[in-house]
Amino acid sequence: MTRIWRWIPLLLWLVPLAALSDTDPARSGEVEAPHIRAELFSDAQRVAPGDTLTLALRLQPDDGWHTYWMNPGDSGLETRIDWTLPEGAEAGPIQWPVPKKLPVEHLVNYGFEGETLLLSDITLPMDIAPGDTLTLSAHARWLVCEIECIPGDAELSLSLPVDDLTELSAHTALFQRGRASQPQAVDWPATFSIESTWLEVTVAPDRTLNPPLQFFPGHTELVEHAEAQDVTLNDDGQLVIRQPLNVYFHTTPQQFEAVLRDAEGAWALTLTDGAEMPPEPPAEAPPGTSTTVLLALLLAFGGGVLLNLMPCVFPVLSLKALGLARHGGHRPHALAYTAGVLVCFLAIAALLLVLRAGGAALGWGFQLQTPLVVGGLAYLMFALGLALIGIVQLGAGWMGAGEHLTRDTGLRGSFFTGVLAVVVASPCTAPFMGTALGFAVTQPAPVALGIFAALGLGLAFPFLLIGFVPALARRLPRPGPWMGIFRQAMAFPLFLTSVWLLWVLGRQVGIDGLSLALAGLVALALGLWLWGLSQLSQQQGRPRLRTAAALIMVAALWPLWQASQLKASASMMTDTDAGGVWTPDRLAALREAGEPVLVNMTADWCITCLANERVALDTDTVRAALTAGGVTYLKGDWTRQDPAITEYLAHYGRNGVPLYVLYPRGGGQPEILPQVLTPGLVRDALARAAAP
Amino acid sequence: MKSLHHVLIGGLLALALGSAHAAPRVGQPAPDFSVVDTAGQTHSLSDFAGQTVILEWTNHDCPFVKKHYVSDNMQTLQRRYTEEGAVWLTVISSAPGKQGHVSAEQADALTRDRHAAPTAVLLDESGDMGRAYDARTTPHMYVIDAEGVLRFMGGIDSNPSADPADIPGATPYLANAARAVLAGDTPDPAVTRPYGCTVKY
Repeated sequence: MTRIWRWIPLLLWLVPLAALSDTDPARSGEVEAPHIRAELFSDAQRVAPGDTLTLALRLQPDDGWHTYWMNPGDSGLETRIDWTLPEGAEAGPIQWPVPKKLPVEHLVNYGFEGETLLLSDITLPMDIAPGDTLTLSAHARWLVCEIECIPGDAELSLSLPVDDLTELSAHTALFQRGRASQPQAVDWPATFSIESTWLEVTVAPDRTLNPPLQFFPGHTELVEHAEAQDVTLNDDGQLVIRQPLNVYFHTTPQQFEAVLRDAEGAWALTLTDGAEMPPEPPAEAPPGTSTTVLLALLLAFGGGVLLNLMPCVFPVLSLKALGLARHGGHRPHALAYTAGVLVCFLAIAALLLVLRAGGAALGWGFQLQTPLVVGGLAYLMFALGLALIGIVQLGAGWMGAGEHLTRDTGLRGSFFTGVLAVVVASPCTAPFMGTALGFAVTQPAPVALGIFAALGLGLAFPFLLIGFVPALARRLPRPGPWMGIFRQAMAFPLFLTSVWLLWVLGRQVGIDGLSLALAGLVALALGLWLWGLSQLSQQQGRPRLRTAAALIMVAALWPLWQASQLKASASMMTDTDAGGVWTPDRLAALREAGEPVLVNMTADWCITCLANERVALDTDTVRAALTAGGVTYLKGDWTRQDPAITEYLAHYGRNGVPLYVLYPRGGGQPEILPQVLTPGLVRDALARAAAP
Repeated sequence: MKSLHHVLIGGLLALALGSAHAAPRVGQPAPDFSVVDTAGQTHSLSDFAGQTVILEWTNHDCPFVKKHYVSDNMQTLQRRYTEEGAVWLTVISSAPGKQGHVSAEQADALTRDRHAAPTAVLLDESGDMGRAYDARTTPHMYVIDAEGVLRFMGGIDSNPSADPADIPGATPYLANAARAVLAGDTPDPAVTRPYGCTVKY
C-alpha cells in the first residue's frame, strides 16, 4: 500500500504534463516504430507571415541502435524528410549533427546514437493572415540498425496558428541541444583532389586544431570509410588529409560537404575541386565573382553608351555626329567608326591580357599610372581644344568638322575618330567601368575580349543608330553657321579635362615636373598657332612655317619627357588628412589586434574616388564617427603603379578603384561599401563596424 | 620532390588498402571460390568457365533484400539471365547464429516460397567467399564474364532505399551490366555503390 501512495504525487504531476503535450501545437506527438520513436517539434508555437521557423525531427532509437548521417558510410541509409507545406512555404535542407563513426566488422558507418535532432528551417510566405492555421507535415524515413536494420517511417504533422507576432514555443532547450550538436559552419579555404588511389583534402583552418582529428566526407562513394586517415601539415601550414579512395568510387563531384572534428569542436566545410579552382581562393568571398558573363557584357555595353556623355568624349563625338549628318551614306561612316572603336578597345584589351600573362600586376587605369601617358593625354586634350577654337584647321576628317569630307578620306577619318574616341575616353572609363573591367581581366581571354568589345559597341552605338536609322539622322539639327560657334564652345570641356589631367600629373611628378609640362604646353600652343598661320599664308611662306611649327611641337614633348622622369617629393604624396598610409603589413597587424579598420583605395586620376573623399570621407561627420568608433582609416594610393594594391583589389574581385572595405571590430567578415558614398552611409557603416 | 612524396604516400596508402582486404578489381580475374550449395555439391568458379556468372549476396531478413524479393524484381532478374545462359549463384555469408544464416533446408524453402530461380544457393558459413569478393552489403551484385574476369560489382540499382515502390524509377545497374556482359560488351558503369544491410560475417 505504501508503495502506491508514493506514486500518487508523481501521477498527479504527470497528468497536467500529458494534458500540456496534447494541446501544445509545437509538437506533433510521438510515433512509435520498431526500436525507435520519432516526433516533430517547432521552435515557435504561433507564427507570423514571412517567418522563418525551425522544426526538429527528434529520433530516439533504443540503446545500441542508430540512424545514419547524410553519408551513411559503407552501408546503411541516410534519414530523409519529405515536407508537405502550405503553398509558398519552403523547407531548407536537414542541418545534420556531427556524425559518429560506427564500425561494423571491417566496415564503417557514420550515424547517430541516442537522441538525434535533425533541424530544418521553414520559411513561411507573406500571404498568410492572422487567424489562419498552418499545417506543416514531415514524412520522415529512416533506417534504424543495431546489427540488423529496420527501415521505418512516420507522418508527423504540426498545426500552428498564425498571429501578428511570433511566439516561441516551450522547446527552446531542445533546439539549443540540437544546435549544440551541429558542426560550426566555417568558410576556411578547403579543396580536394582525386589522386591515383586516394582522396586528398587541403584545408586552411583559421585556428589551431587539436588532435585527434577526424574527417567526415559528406559524399558517399568517395573514400574507404574504414581506412585510416593520414593527416599532415604542408609547407604552407595547411592541413592535408589523405584517405584511400572507395572501391566503388566512380565520379568526381564538383564539391561536397564535410565535417572536420578535433578534440574540442567540429566544423562544417564545403570542399571544392582543387583542380578546377585557383589554388588559393581569397579568404573573403569577393562580391562580384558571381557576376555572370552575360550581365558583365550588358553592363559593359551600357557603360559604353554612357561614355558618349563624358566630358572627355562628348565634344569630339557630337561634332563628328553633326558632320556625318550632312552627308548621305552614313552607314559606311558608322561602320568605319565602329571598327575604329573596336580595334582600339581590343588592342588595349590584348595588351592588358599579354601583360597579365607576363605576370605584371596591372589594373584598368594602368595607362594613367604612367606620367608620360597622363601628360600625353593632357597635351592631346589641349591640342584638340585649340583646334576646336579654330587656331588651327585640322585636316580632313580626323576631327570630323565635316567641311572637307570626301567619301574616301572621310571613311579613314571616321575610323580614326573611333580610335581617338577610345583614347580620349580612357580617363573616363577607368573609374566608371571598374567592376565590369575588373571582372573582364580576371576572366579567360575570350570572355575578357568579349567584354571590351561590348564596351566598344556601346560607345559606337549612337553612331550606328544614326547611320542605320535615317529618320534619326534627319532629326539631327541642320548644319549651319551655328556649328562653328558650337564647335568653339566644345573646346572648353576639353580644356577642363586637360587641367584635371595636369593636376594628376602634378600629383605624380611634383610642382617642378608640372611646370615643365606646362612650359611644354605653351610650346605646343605656339607650334599649333604657327601651323594655323601657315594654313592662312601664301604659298611661298608655307613650307618654312610648317617646318618650324612641326619642330616646335616635337620639341614641346621634351619637357614632358623630362617631367615624367621626376617623382613627387614625399611631402606631396602623403595626404594631410587623418588617414594613415595603407600597407599590407599595417592592415594585417590591425586585424590581428581586432581593431576596426576602414580601407580606402584611391587614385588621383579617379574622379569617383575624389568625389567620395570630398563629399563623404573628408567630412566632419565621418571624422567624428572614425574617432568615436576608434576606427583606423587607411588609405592606399594607386595613382602610381603599386603591385600590393593591385593584389589587394584583385582579392575583392576588383581591378580598379575606388574600393572601400570596412573591417569590423574583433574580426569577422569585412563589409564592402558602395562605390558612391554619402556621409550618413559611411557614419552608419562605421557605427556597425565599431560595435563590440 | 613533391611528386616523389606523392608516390610514396600513394604507395603506402595502396599497401594499407591491400593489406586490409584484397578487394577484387573490375577487369581482373575474379577470385576463385569453393563453396557447397544447398544440395551438398561443391562449386568453384572454374566449374563455370565459358559461362557468364552472376553473384548475388543475400540475407532474407534484410529489408533491402526483402524490397527486391517482395517486388519480384530479384526473381525476374534470376529467371531472365539464367534463361539467357548465365549462371546465377545466390550466396549467403551470414555466420551461424547471425541474422540471415539458414540451413540447407531453410534455404531451399526460401527459394521455393519466394519462387526464386537461381542456378544454386551457396552456403558460405565461413564467410571466405564473401571476404574474397569483399562483399559488403545484401544485396551486393557481381558479374563475371566467360573468361573468369570480373566485369561488374556494386549495387543492384541506383535507388538506395528499402521501399519496393522505388524500384521502377531506378536505373537497373545489374540488369544493364548482365545484358552487356552477355552481349560481349563492357558494362557502364562497371562499379556502383552497393547498398543494403552489412553482410553478417
